[in-house]
Amino acid sequence: MAEIDFERRLERLFDSSPEMPDAAGFAERIERRLNAGWTARRWLIGAAGVVGGVIGASQLMLSNVFQRVETASDSARLLSSGVARIAPKADWISAISGGGGVVWIAASAAVLMMAFVLTRVIGEI
Amino acid sequence: MAGPHLKFASLHDVELCTHAATGERRAFGELVRRHGSAVRGVLRRMGAQPAEADDVAQDAFLAAFEGIAEFRGEGAFASWVKKIAARLYLRRLQKDRRLGALSVEAAEEEGPDADGRIDLDEALKALGLAERLCVTLCYGAGVSHAEAAEALNLPLGTVKSHVKRGLEKLRTRLAPSTGVDLSGRRGNG
Repeated sequence: MAEIDFERRLERLFDSSPEMPDAAGFAERIERRLNAGWTARRWLIGAAGVVGGVIGASQLMLSNVFQRVETASDSARLLSSGVARIAPKADWISAISGGGGVVWIAASAAVLMMAFVLTRVIGEI
Repeated sequence: MAGPHLKFASLHDVELCTHAATGERRAFGELVRRHGSAVRGVLRRMGAQPAEADDVAQDAFLAAFEGIAEFRGEGAFASWVKKIAARLYLRRLQKDRRLGALSVEAAEEEGPDADGRIDLDEALKALGLAERLCVTLCYGAGVSHAEAAEALNLPLGTVKSHVKRGLEKLRTRLAPSTGVDLSGRRGNG
């Protein structure tokens, strides 16, 4: 069993390495590197989110989605006028479809949502 | 500004690992404060110069932070990082072709110290690089013989021989008065 004892003693000797005088400085250097990496990552994720949002917005513009929504709102307006003739108090449809401002607000919200989702996804990766 | 560090100083390693896994870098900093010297010590005992040992230890801790979610807490945190550090150091040796002649390298032959006990660091200097690496990997970094053989790209039998010879030399130098036969080594690989 002597060799086992020696091996255990050797393991204890390896485990009992003395504290180095610059141990605190060494830990601070690593924390600084971790913090620097984290800051860089946050900038990268933010930039990627903005780029993703811009790309999403430009795709929306290019696909004429607003024109299509305008067409849909015209149809809704026609529908609402038809409904108004049948039931004059049901003018809520025209309230929903009225004006292009709603379309722009919806589009902006979509872009923001897309940027947020992209940021989260990249952050998780 | 010592407040946050004091908060973490009272926590157990496992709790610190849990905090670090959520991205809490100060918790990980506390782990480095606790175990940095041990990790750097193992690398120096493997033969790394102090500056190189510090570089590799830093890389090992950064890799540990990245992979902290994989650490299940089955063993000690320090042992886990020591293994990472040892592998990184071996990779660096291989990359720089400093392991090329490892299998045929002759060990430095030094006689037993007549003064009696000497410390481990001094005793390790009497070992050749291959013996030193094998012994430190297996007893300092907790790597099995098989893992050491794979990491060093050596046959398992060669690693066992290096370990055996290294232990014989260490025993002679650490305790010259006892001359017990070291045959029939523990097989941890």
